[in-house]
Amino acid sequence: MRLVQVAGWLGSGKTTMIIALSKEFSRKGIKVAILVNEIGAIPVDGRVIEDYGLTVKEIGGGCICCQMAGSMMKTLKLLREGPNPDIVILEPTGIAVPHVVKEMILSTSTVAEITLGLTIVLFDTTRAAKLLGYETLQRVISTQLTDADIIALSKSDAVTDEAFETAKESVRAINPRAQIIRLSVTSGEGVAALARAVEEMAVPA
Amino acid sequence: MNRLRLHPLHEGTSAYATACFLSREKDMAGAELRRFAEVLMQSLAASTTRSGAKVIGHIKAYIEHPEGFLHAHTVGEPGDITVDGRDGGAVRRFKLVVNSIIFGISEKAVKDAADEAIRETAALFGMEREPASLSLN
Repeated sequence: MRLVQVAGWLGSGKTTMIIALSKEFSRKGIKVAILVNEIGAIPVDGRVIEDYGLTVKEIGGGCICCQMAGSMMKTLKLLREGPNPDIVILEPTGIAVPHVVKEMILSTSTVAEITLGLTIVLFDTTRAAKLLGYETLQRVISTQLTDADIIALSKSDAVTDEAFETAKESVRAINPRAQIIRLSVTSGEGVAALARAVEEMAVPA
Repeated sequence: MNRLRLHPLHEGTSAYATACFLSREKDMAGAELRRFAEVLMQSLAASTTRSGAKVIGHIKAYIEHPEGFLHAHTVGEPGDITVDGRDGGAVRRFKLVVNSIIFGISEKAVKDAADEAIRETAALFGMEREPASLSLN
């Protein structure tokens, strides 16, 4: 059971992308489970994912990178003992710091018998300048991008090529080593590429 | 309300989630229910901004009834409201869940803004919020 983290700022399209990615895996016969962490005490995203017929577990009421390590470990163990998927896609909260989540996963990996896969970070191209210009929030958004193995530039169908290139240059300056993928769940662009990347990194041979 | 223990990078984050049932005596068709979701998102963003929010992180909601399921969200940008899901048939009662993540105001202010927006939008569509004791049956 390998775990892929899909992080990214609030409203960047994580849930929508995860649904598309999971459908892609299901078509290929790869067993997927989704683990959703939300700040709100009454989760919304988990219920939305469930409505698409996907296997989902929720950790609500806080951020896993702050306070939910115990719940996370328990839930991963339940997944291991129950559906035992090939891939677990973890959607942390939109304010989560991926490297902190990663450390937490690694600390539970022996007990939960999981292997850590890629960290994908979504970045909303329609709000690129605004997100990187926030006085107080810019630090967490930049940290999310710095922590990424893959940066998926989301909602790319809703911006001009010029705006897309500007967003790409901005994130490239923050994280020069990450692979950058152009993503539009609406048109389907980038979904198969992301699935391939996750599959190559996350499915045992 | 949700007391967050925060990573230092998360200072200034407030979250509030609520669930309730809304009802009225007249049927509400799928298109009107989608319109309700859209107006609710506008109203939640507006009331949160009026309360002094620096940034709307994410406001999301779902509407559930025996035949349908709609979900909606906004990040507070003009024109950025998404409503998606299954309409189902006409309804007179549905469950509403709202989850707001906001920066720069207290959790109490987020709660008050959300409650005000739900009350105003429900009234606009001739709906009543059922008493809390009945809400999550």
